[in-house]
Amino acid sequence: MTDHRWLELAAPYALGAMAPAERAGFEAHLAECATCRSDVQSFRDVVGLLGHAAPAAAPPSGVRERILRDARRARPLGTRRRVLPWIAAAAAVVLALAAGYGYWSARVAQTALRTALDSARVRLDSANQLVTAILDSTVGTADLAATGKPPSMRLFWNRARNVIVVAAFELPPAPAGRTYQLWAIKKGQAPVSVGTFNTPPSGRAVITLRMPAGFKPDLSAVTEEPAGGSPQPTQQPFLVGAWQGG
Amino acid sequence: MASEPDRALVERMMGGDERALAEVYDRHGGPAYSLALAIVGERADAEEVVADAFGQVWRTAAQFDPSRGSVAAWLATITRTRALDLLRSRRRRARALERAARADTDGLAAPLGAADAPDRGVQRQDARRLVTRSLAELPEPQRRVIELAYFGGLTQTEIAAELQEPLGTVKTRMRAGMEKLRGSLAGLLAGGEA
Repeated sequence: MTDHRWLELAAPYALGAMAPAERAGFEAHLAECATCRSDVQSFRDVVGLLGHAAPAAAPPSGVRERILRDARRARPLGTRRRVLPWIAAAAAVVLALAAGYGYWSARVAQTALRTALDSARVRLDSANQLVTAILDSTVGTADLAATGKPPSMRLFWNRARNVIVVAAFELPPAPAGRTYQLWAIKKGQAPVSVGTFNTPPSGRAVITLRMPAGFKPDLSAVTEEPAGGSPQPTQQPFLVGAWQGG
Repeated sequence: MASEPDRALVERMMGGDERALAEVYDRHGGPAYSLALAIVGERADAEEVVADAFGQVWRTAAQFDPSRGSVAAWLATITRTRALDLLRSRRRRARALERAARADTDGLAAPLGAADAPDRGVQRQDARRLVTRSLAELPEPQRRVIELAYFGGLTQTEIAAELQEPLGTVKTRMRAGMEKLRGSLAGLLAGGEA
């Protein structure tokens, strides 16, 4: 079961105080050990409170204004805000027409609506491509991490198009100057690089990579490598899984 | 306390509501600034960190996951990460750990003084008191390694070098101290409000 070596690691892991080399090994263990995962979560909760120990200080008054000024320039990322302007634009069209508000305002609203529709269409196209890629009958899958989370990844390999769709869950971004690298492995042969990727702070990402043509791997694995990737893995993989089906 | 939960404000931020951002700042800007200042040590740098952190919060509101903790904890994580990034880049240039060493003598978990900025809400005051007291109650060597990791961003190896102690000793102290904190903060964690 869980030996003493792992038990010591949950606290430094949650504090971010683990040496990088040690961290990769522990993350591989975390994928398989529910006890250590819940241990890590409970220490993360503690770490989330430690900021309260900072001596209280009042921010300079200009910070608030600066934050709000910056916010006006950069709109939030994410799905919600894209839906809202669309609804707002549509509502503007209806209102303008119903009230006979005039040609000009309807024109403005229509332009806004068209722009919103165009960008919705682009997103729909890319979502469709993704769904088509992973629903094909030639698709094989691999689950990286034996018991699910965290972190874990699910791979969909569309053999007809040699495309791999990579879905990452609870995988924190690689440290500065580092990247994640996906490997395809045929038993008894050296790993072949499929490509490098990174995740946003949310730890969730969907990335499309290309499988080297004609290669039929048994396993896939993920390592953390220097930015740009490595010709061969430079450390033990922290996620490994076998290819199924397709 | 305020009528609208933090979580609802984050939802509104996803819709691009700047007033929600202003309200989140009014609730959490003080603690974020305090945390940034405790890590970076300079007021101008702390201001930079807080502005960056709230910019990130604004842009990535959609990524907030309530199942992983409170809005306050999310903000603290983002602020700490930003502050440590700044600290590390500065450290890389200077190759000096003076501040981390100084943190020990100053005592980052010092009790709150009378001149402290007023905080919003009784719950936060309680959280501050309990966290500060829990840290202060730890044996000094355990508190020290946790503070060097949390506020100094040092790895266990770096802490061992800094304190000139064996790595194994640092590991044991960190684990023991964190376990005590987990025990003494259990009530706060179960409440889910921090």
